[in-house]
Amino acid sequence: MTLDEFTHILEVYGSDAEQWPDSQREACLHFTKVNTQAKALLASYQQLDAKLNTIAAPSFPGLEQRVLTQSLPAKQSGLLDSIINWLLPEADSWSDLWRPATAACLPLVLGIVVGNFYSFGITVEDDGFQYWDDELLMLSFNEYSGEQQ
Amino acid sequence: MTDEDLMAAVCDGDQSAYQTLVRQHLNAISHYAFRLLGNRKDTEDITQEVFLKLWINAASWDPKKAKLTTWLHRIAHNLCIDYLRKHGNTQTQDEIEPQHQEIDEVINQSGNWEQQEQTEKLNDAINLLPENQRSALMLCHYAGFSNKEAAAIMNVSVKALESSIARARRSLRATLEQAETTRGEAETIG
Repeated sequence: MTLDEFTHILEVYGSDAEQWPDSQREACLHFTKVNTQAKALLASYQQLDAKLNTIAAPSFPGLEQRVLTQSLPAKQSGLLDSIINWLLPEADSWSDLWRPATAACLPLVLGIVVGNFYSFGITVEDDGFQYWDDELLMLSFNEYSGEQQ
Repeated sequence: MTDEDLMAAVCDGDQSAYQTLVRQHLNAISHYAFRLLGNRKDTEDITQEVFLKLWINAASWDPKKAKLTTWLHRIAHNLCIDYLRKHGNTQTQDEIEPQHQEIDEVINQSGNWEQQEQTEKLNDAINLLPENQRSALMLCHYAGFSNKEAAAIMNVSVKALESSIARARRSLRATLEQAETTRGEAETIG
């Protein structure tokens, strides 16, 4: 353990040995016994923590009553609300973003399915020829020489 | 009843469960908000909004992801940060003076005058810390969160949180040492 490492632990975890990382606690405690600078540094941070503990936030009389009596909106209980809640998760839960993405894709999928089954009056003229190749073959049987005569 | 039971009841619209949760978490949330905002009125407004959000968004709390207190502190943190960004990050003199009086009331309850002066200087130094350092100190020292939990509340990496709290403690220790030096010099002259 070096003085820099010990300083870092005090700055990050404070002077209470209980808060120090388990893996380094014993080494730190031993270091304070053998190193006078470390001992002085620990005393300095203990003094800081003690001072910090004397600063308490003021009390807020009336706040509890204010929060308890504030008007609370009625709870959403309808099916539609449940669906909306499911589809639109909290902004910070990225893992649930597949839900709105799925919802956005649904109209597209629905369009493809409906379009596949219904023609909505759009028809393809069917004259018996399924392929252009068939049509060209039939045209080749025509007698064009007679027309010229 | 556990937090999970109470939150499930809140989801069902149980107002007595809501009241229990308010009583359990009000002090922690209001103290945190006060430390970030520095004045009583905004602290009360933000605290009220935190619990309104608890009522409205109770269903979105996932006990597997975070403890309820962590979740509430995160809501409070986000609301405070939004507020500070809208209204400027620094407290005006009008806001600092009443805060001084409020903190003085607490400090005056114990300790001698010199100790009080030192504590006041430390309190001023806390208020002058950048918002991220102040948050880190409040969450780790006063609220007792682990570094990992505090990082989750502030939505930063653990490394960034540790950097913030290290800077805060270093800065406050320097303030305290300076106050002691000044006091020593004054005693020598006297």
